[in-house]
Amino acid sequence: MTTQTQALGLVNTIMMASGAALLVSLAFAFTNLISSGHASFNTDSAGVTWGLLIVTYVFLSMASTGLAMVAAMAAMFGARQYAPLIKRCTWLSIVTLVAAFATLALEMGHPFRMLWAVPLNFQPASAMVWMGIFYSICLVLLAFKFTKMHGGNWSGEGLTKAGFVVEVLALGTLGSAFGLMAMRPAWFGAEVPLLFLACGAVIGVAFAVLINQLTYGMDDKAMPEKVRSVMTGSLPKLFAATLGIYLVSLLFRTVNGLWTNAEGFEVVGAMVTSPWFMIEVIALVGAFVIMINPAMRAVGTMQVVAAVATIVAMFIGRYEFVIGGQLVPLFKGAWVQGLISYTPSATEWMITLMAFSLVFAGWALGEKMLNLAAAPDDK
Amino acid sequence: MAKWGMVIDLEKCTGCQACTTACQMENNRLPGESWQDVLFYTEGKYPNAQMKWIPRPCMQCENPSCVTVCPTKATYKTEDGVVLVDWNKCIGCKYCMIACPYGVRFYTDEKPLIEPNVKDVFKGDGDLTWNPPYKGPQQDNTKGIGIQPSGVVSKCNFCYHKISKAPKGTVNLSNDDPALREFVPACVRTCAPTARYFGDLDNPNSEVNRIIAAKKGTRLLEHTGNKPQVYYVTGAGAAGGTVIPGGRSSKDKA
Amino acid sequence: MNILKLEVSRRRFLQATGTVGAVGAVGLAGTKLAGFSTLSEAQAAAPGASAETVITKNVCAQCPARCGIDVYTTNGKVHAIYGSYDHPISNGKLCPKGHLGTYLLYDPDRFKGPMKRTNPKKGRNEDPKFVPISWDEAFKTVADRLNVLRDKGESHRFAFLFGRGWGPTDVGLYGPFGAMYGTPNAPIGHSSMCADASKLAREAQEGFYDYHSYDYKNTNYLLNFGASYLEAFRPYNYLMQMWGHMRTKSPQTRVTTVEVRLSTTAAASDRALFVKPGTDAALALAIAHVMLTEGLWNKNFVGDFADGANHFKVGMTVAAAAAEAAKAAKAAAAAAPAVAATAAAAAPVKGKGAKTVVLPTPPGAFNEKWTLGLVEWWDTVVKSATPKWAADITGVAAKDIVTVAREFGTTRPAMVIQERGPGSHSNGTYNCMAVNALNALVGANFAEGGVMHHSGAPYGKLPVDYNEFKDDYAKSDDRKKPRIDLVKGPDLPLAKNGMQDIAKNHLAGKPYKLDTMLFNMTNPIFTAPDCKVWEEALKDIFIIGTSPYPDETNMYADLVLPEHTYLERLQVCADQPIHGYPQAHLRTPAIKPLYDTRDFADIIIEIGKRMKGPMAEYYKALGNHENLVRALAKGFEAKPGSNGVNSFESWKQKGVWFKTPYAFRQIRGEFFEWDGKAYAKPMTEADVKYKLFKTISGKFEFNSNLLRGNVMGKKKAPDGSYMKTADGKDVMELQKKDTDAFINKKLGVTLEQTGFPQYIPAKYTGGGDLHFITPKTAMNAEGRSANIPHAIALQQPSVGGRTTVYLEINPQTAKAKGIRNNDKVRIKSALGTIEAYARLTEGARPDTLVLPFAHGHWAQGRWAKGRGPGHSGEITANQSDPLSGLASYYTGMVSIEKA
Repeated sequence: MTTQTQALGLVNTIMMASGAALLVSLAFAFTNLISSGHASFNTDSAGVTWGLLIVTYVFLSMASTGLAMVAAMAAMFGARQYAPLIKRCTWLSIVTLVAAFATLALEMGHPFRMLWAVPLNFQPASAMVWMGIFYSICLVLLAFKFTKMHGGNWSGEGLTKAGFVVEVLALGTLGSAFGLMAMRPAWFGAEVPLLFLACGAVIGVAFAVLINQLTYGMDDKAMPEKVRSVMTGSLPKLFAATLGIYLVSLLFRTVNGLWTNAEGFEVVGAMVTSPWFMIEVIALVGAFVIMINPAMRAVGTMQVVAAVATIVAMFIGRYEFVIGGQLVPLFKGAWVQGLISYTPSATEWMITLMAFSLVFAGWALGEKMLNLAAAPDDK
Repeated sequence: MAKWGMVIDLEKCTGCQACTTACQMENNRLPGESWQDVLFYTEGKYPNAQMKWIPRPCMQCENPSCVTVCPTKATYKTEDGVVLVDWNKCIGCKYCMIACPYGVRFYTDEKPLIEPNVKDVFKGDGDLTWNPPYKGPQQDNTKGIGIQPSGVVSKCNFCYHKISKAPKGTVNLSNDDPALREFVPACVRTCAPTARYFGDLDNPNSEVNRIIAAKKGTRLLEHTGNKPQVYYVTGAGAAGGTVIPGGRSSKDKA
Repeated sequence: MNILKLEVSRRRFLQATGTVGAVGAVGLAGTKLAGFSTLSEAQAAAPGASAETVITKNVCAQCPARCGIDVYTTNGKVHAIYGSYDHPISNGKLCPKGHLGTYLLYDPDRFKGPMKRTNPKKGRNEDPKFVPISWDEAFKTVADRLNVLRDKGESHRFAFLFGRGWGPTDVGLYGPFGAMYGTPNAPIGHSSMCADASKLAREAQEGFYDYHSYDYKNTNYLLNFGASYLEAFRPYNYLMQMWGHMRTKSPQTRVTTVEVRLSTTAAASDRALFVKPGTDAALALAIAHVMLTEGLWNKNFVGDFADGANHFKVGMTVAAAAAEAAKAAKAAAAAAPAVAATAAAAAPVKGKGAKTVVLPTPPGAFNEKWTLGLVEWWDTVVKSATPKWAADITGVAAKDIVTVAREFGTTRPAMVIQERGPGSHSNGTYNCMAVNALNALVGANFAEGGVMHHSGAPYGKLPVDYNEFKDDYAKSDDRKKPRIDLVKGPDLPLAKNGMQDIAKNHLAGKPYKLDTMLFNMTNPIFTAPDCKVWEEALKDIFIIGTSPYPDETNMYADLVLPEHTYLERLQVCADQPIHGYPQAHLRTPAIKPLYDTRDFADIIIEIGKRMKGPMAEYYKALGNHENLVRALAKGFEAKPGSNGVNSFESWKQKGVWFKTPYAFRQIRGEFFEWDGKAYAKPMTEADVKYKLFKTISGKFEFNSNLLRGNVMGKKKAPDGSYMKTADGKDVMELQKKDTDAFINKKLGVTLEQTGFPQYIPAKYTGGGDLHFITPKTAMNAEGRSANIPHAIALQQPSVGGRTTVYLEINPQTAKAKGIRNNDKVRIKSALGTIEAYARLTEGARPDTLVLPFAHGHWAQGRWAKGRGPGHSGEITANQSDPLSGLASYYTGMVSIEKA
């Protein structure tokens, strides 16, 4: 047994809180879903078709891939210093993917029909099919890998590499599901999968930072040596790098949207005047400033602040992307005046809360029961 | 096998929405769920403002993006050129609604546009979303005909329950032939100014092809490459002009 | 083969097609239609007994157009309505409302049977607490009440109000009931809340109190004054068919629309002229002015100056212009005597034969042909009605007026259409006259591509004549009471109806208070201007409602006697002026009545049977509504329709009797009658006067005898009796009424000018700074769709009104008032305030607010009630055109503010 100095108090608190939130949000969401079905959503055939749940799904899918990337740093790029984080990040990747799938299931009209209808009527031209396939493989590989690790078997870098590739394909295909849509110009583009991967990296790293800090009560003295090393060394630098890449893409996507006269991009103009955009930019720039400052980025609380800010900002960003791409009405005439307006319903928010609660509860549970601190050199 | 197509003459269209209501009643649609919608646009300034309108059925594209995104092949293209939805296979992912450039698809489980909700007033049997007292006899879930079950997506099917029963080899499916009237799509049949024509696009001698040629038919959003089988023709009339003002102009208006 | 997956036995199939064959093709021939059967089978098949789809013929009831409809019924369930083919109006097509008719059958809020009110208090928020009663009790309650009233000698305190009348089996019953019962108030129609101004204008000018029929098929120019041709003008469905034709025929019919807003009609027209509300006459006069000064009138029809020159000179009388011309000619003649002499000799000869040469014509003499008073009209009114003058009044640019006048004057055939737009103002009759005068100027009357007077159908006579069932009470002089709406009295001598004033008059007790009212197909408590007055007035009157729907009237009803909805009726629908030629339509029930309702005719007959005195015998003799229909159908035996209808059975099968073509035609100034092959039988002036222009002059009167007070009346002998001719007919003579003095008093028109189409400034009501226009939407033209959720969702497509109708406001005006798109606003007039949501649109005049009419129900069913916005009637003053009595719906002024 490792002499763990995890901040079990904090983990317990988070577990209790997220468990409670999970129960409340589930109760609320299911009550509404059972009584009025999807009519309890504010999505609309004449308005936004894919609402907050798809935002949440996209965000958590990105988190899952990002976390899997962090977990694969050692195997993929020989960055051995990430080894102490592998098990925790793998677990988190599984948890976030399950939460993402749960959200998606609640968004679909017939989630159970999907289980047989997709394989029986395989449509190779549909990005959604490949996304489903890749993420299903991801889940299997992650579960397999985690089970192995949990059994103390740390071998099998090939498996991790394969997982990494499939994860990249999965998130890339998800990006492509949007990027293929020529009829929705704000989404369209071959670079969208790349953008999604960049997002995944930022979100994954932010989650890795946050969760590892929470595990040890934001106290680097409580961390095992190797964990402390990566948490004060490579990880914040990686965080800074991914943030930087993402900020550049955000800058140019915004400029692109504001500059172009092309139909569909007017939504960018509406977006930048929203206070949410301000929050997003301030949070990301703030996190980036913290992370490029060697003194600040080593401090646990600062890392948590930066990670939370990044997660919030990236969620806003996914909202802007997914919802924004639908706000220009397609053939709605005078029925829709100007851009489409959409505000998620309470049920939609509750399902999002449910998904996040699931992530945190799942993590805390794993922390308590699955020895997530285990690492190869612990043997 | 015919390739069914439609021509809409905007020079004649009066924007009355009879196509919309005929479709809604024939196909048991919910209030506001206009498989066949008529869209109005206003531009310019008083006294030289212009108002124009365009009827918008499903374009039944030759290259339908809705078909290729559908993960279960629930949306499919028939041999005679119509895009249908198999409600028994549809999983309600709504990707097709996202992928349709023309906004012609509808998900049924939404907040009602008009309260009280007709679904509560006329409760559906079993899985069907509602049961209008005037429900027609036709129901075929595999073709998206009739009352929609919950959790699936629906769309204009060119009144497939009518046109599919037209005699083989029909070239012009129009009111002009008394023997064919029952097979004419509801919107075409009722169009008072006769702004709609329906027939076989594969037959070079068909009336639809004649009008497309003579009046220089155009299709909406050609750049998407979907190649609609619904063509618009226009003249000098005020209802003419197939250029649909986009979001930029509507934003300026708001 | 079997479209509805049905097996039809060969025997049955042969039967069905055999029936079709016997009466001519109904459009159901061929094996492909084996699933369908004709009407005779429809009746044979009991609902639910067979899986067959049957088609019954009916007539849409959602507007007055009389579109024949095919009602599809399967297993006793009506599931579709399409326009009937081979029907002269619908031609297989329908308007958007038509398809929604099944909702009116299956409206879940319908009354399921007769009801009695148990809550004596009446008001918007009072639940009537209806309890079901038997029909027998209902009829007895009405009859007892009316008998008691009659016994007291107060039968005039019973009023019978109707709105959309269909024909002899409903409207035809009101008059006899009133006559036998002894009330002047049975019936009072809704026409004064409809479009009476144009009708009076036609009576004044053409001796024809009705709507025109129009030959859209052949016209090349349509000048439209405020008719919602592509929204609510009648018959909407047929008009759209004609639109498709006009816009693609060769040459394309050019359309200019005069409107107060960018309606669909205005938008689709070649040119829209946005006119200030209530000023149409000024525009029409200026068009006439240009046409006359530029010599663009139809000389074949109107006539011409004797000397062939045009003496209509701007600002000058004809005499002055002619004198000036003569002076100029003389001066020229002095310069070149030989040439002038030749010209003077030649001019009168032109086209007139040698006879006229003998008579020296005075300078400026005008040989008027089929019109009366053109020169006087010019001298008095038109000479100063320049485009510039009209531009200042109407806001339409002078050069647009000139352009339109030239187009209109040079395109043949051309015609003018109009309705409530110019009519629904205090100056409505004169507006409509000015507009209608343009028809005469282009010679559109009875011409190909012009306007016509429609002819009635040859119905059979009823088995009994109600005049024989009047008792002494009904005939007594005591029964000659004024009507409750005071029409035909000193205040409204020319009006035919004044329904909108009934509530006001009742409250004031002038001329008396009503005791009992029966309403059919009208709902003035909601639709009348200043409708809230009705909510007070109807509190102490015993109200009998006959609508099957929970409308506002029924919320005030003491008794509800629900009639069938139209798909359950056997009912005759007389024709409306459309093609000119006669038509008679018939509704046939598609299914047995869903609930315990009655045919409206039977409601009257059953009440009648329970009345005291001989009138009960009359109704017993009538028996029931089907007897009426059968008796009326007898008329077709001698005169079979063009579609072969010659009996009750064949009428039911086809749904319509009609006889083409229209009988009369004016061709280049000569009138002809149809001789069976062509318009070849020439008509004399006397024929024209007797059959077409039933004015005193027998011509189109630019100077109306009627409005000058000239009427033909029975000549009285010195002893006061009417003089008779040798063959026993009344001797008629020209008599003088004080109509001119009345007009002078009411409108300030000088006594000399009352006969002329002219511009009188409209009297605007309400006191605000913006005009308030309340058009009808295509989806709700007569308000029948208020409780249809599908109609609500499509109500106002032009600005996106799909859960409520929006107030349309010009963005500039909105900005000045601090109103943004979708803001909730208050609209105020002197009468009160209503609320609505604003939609900014460049289609609205900056000085005008537009809110569709007849929305904002406080009853009518679950979808209609409380939907908002506020109802325009609540802030529209009850002002009428003093001549026609037409309510001035479009004359309101309001102010607006953000709520």
